Amino acid sequence: MSIIDVKNITYDYHKKDDQGNETESVRALDDVSLEVKEGEFIAVLGHNGSGKSTFAKHLNALLVPTGGTVYICGMDTSDTSNTLEVRKTAGMVFQNPDNQMVASVVDEEVGFGPENMGVPTDEILKRVDDALNSVGMYAYKDSSPTRLSGGQKQRIAIAGILAMKPKCIVADEPTAMLDPKGRADVLKVLHMLNKEQNVTIILITHNMEEVIDADRIFVMEGGKVVMNGSPREIFSHVKELQRLRLDVPEVTKLAFELKQKGLPLRDGILTREEFVNELRLLAKGRV
Amino acid sequence: MFKDITLGQFYPADSVIHRLDPRVKLLGTVVYIASLFIGKTFFTFIPISVFLVMVIILSKVPVSFILRGIKPIIPLLIISAAFNLILTPGDSVIVRFWIITINWEGVFMAIFIILRLLYLVAGTSLLTLTTTPTRLTDGMEKGLRFLTPLKVPVHEIAMMMSIALRFIPILTEEADKIKKAQLARGADFESGNLMKRVRAMIPLLVPLFVSAFRRAGDLAMAMEARCYNGAEGRTKMKPLFYAGRDFIAYGVIFGYLAVVIVMRVFGL
Repeated sequence: MSIIDVKNITYDYHKKDDQGNETESVRALDDVSLEVKEGEFIAVLGHNGSGKSTFAKHLNALLVPTGGTVYICGMDTSDTSNTLEVRKTAGMVFQNPDNQMVASVVDEEVGFGPENMGVPTDEILKRVDDALNSVGMYAYKDSSPTRLSGGQKQRIAIAGILAMKPKCIVADEPTAMLDPKGRADVLKVLHMLNKEQNVTIILITHNMEEVIDADRIFVMEGGKVVMNGSPREIFSHVKELQRLRLDVPEVTKLAFELKQKGLPLRDGILTREEFVNELRLLAKGRV
Repeated sequence: MFKDITLGQFYPADSVIHRLDPRVKLLGTVVYIASLFIGKTFFTFIPISVFLVMVIILSKVPVSFILRGIKPIIPLLIISAAFNLILTPGDSVIVRFWIITINWEGVFMAIFIILRLLYLVAGTSLLTLTTTPTRLTDGMEKGLRFLTPLKVPVHEIAMMMSIALRFIPILTEEADKIKKAQLARGADFESGNLMKRVRAMIPLLVPLFVSAFRRAGDLAMAMEARCYNGAEGRTKMKPLFYAGRDFIAYGVIFGYLAVVIVMRVFGL
């Protein structure tokens, strides 16, 4: 059974005027289908307004689809008796680290989720310690979140979700407000959780550099999934990505442009090392 | 300008009063306030002083810290003393000029009111000085739980208080940022008369409110995503338990209350 099974969902935002009459309805999601297996690292790419955040909120039952169905571990999210169970299975990390913190002390912040779930006190304390160790923030257990950097706060937010022992973490642009160092730390934690604790990760982002290590990428545009495949497959279509106003990584772009000028490089080069190797091979071939 | 806001200032120290259960301290504060209003003569200040001095010594909070809390209420002290001085009716007139009469009863009342207010501020500030905001809200939630059957949303009030405390530093920082941004665009917060300065705050408060509402929306969603569902079925990570010292403290508090009431009954 796949952990996330999204079947042909649509979602309409309704705008209302002062009298409550509907003035306009915007289709934010249009016939989106996708399936995620347990333990996968999935990236959902798209620029602003592509519907990626709306999609993310469907995985946590914060929104329920207008049409179609979302199944999380076989549970239909539109059935309100499943809501709590869905939220325990698929935890969600948001963009702004300050706006998702409830408590004034780090360990109480991490314990908030388990408290809500009714976990016994001893178990909460153990889970909080484990979660803080996992994200490498145990040393800050007793400090106040206001004193931490953005990247550290976001790692605390991830720990807060981890303490709920979810099978899946949906991260909605978790790095958008962070500096490069914080961004790297948060991504490292997400990848580590995916590899070592087999947590399924859904990373929503518009930053192409962050997705090259994902197992699969879905590209969204205008509420639809327009491309999907492995990073290499996706980045082979530089022209197509540029049309969708998405930046490709610098190396990929350079390789693509060199190829256009006639160098016989292969498609979808993702990292600098790969690019250097490819150039070496090429040079050898020529000698 | 915003850095001066200190709410529930906490003085970290390792003392018996710090370690007391917040519920005990809350009840103690309520009893202390009541005792100030039970007493009608200067004699009641004897047990009150003994109680207050004892708590201050046990709490290890420097007296200067407590006196600092008194400074902002000096105007209030002066105003209420002045009113009592002038408006208290009595026969033993000291001086009389124009329409103002000052008599011994007024002098007595004015001194009494000043003492009462000073003791009130000094005693209540000890509560926040010795209790962290989290412990205080926890104590309120558990201590007032008996009101839940009366449909008082105790858990919700405690949650609102702790979230408010959590967001004070964030919003202060934001207010500073907005202020700088508006100053950079030529806003003037410093000059002009009172009305002008109040009006100058509008371009600061409007964005602050808008952002506070946005934050509230985000936070509500994040809490919902983490299975927050009100008090029902919720457990506590750091539950409150009474220790032996808490029962002793309860004994002291009720003994003190009894002394004050007995003194009132005997007209002392």
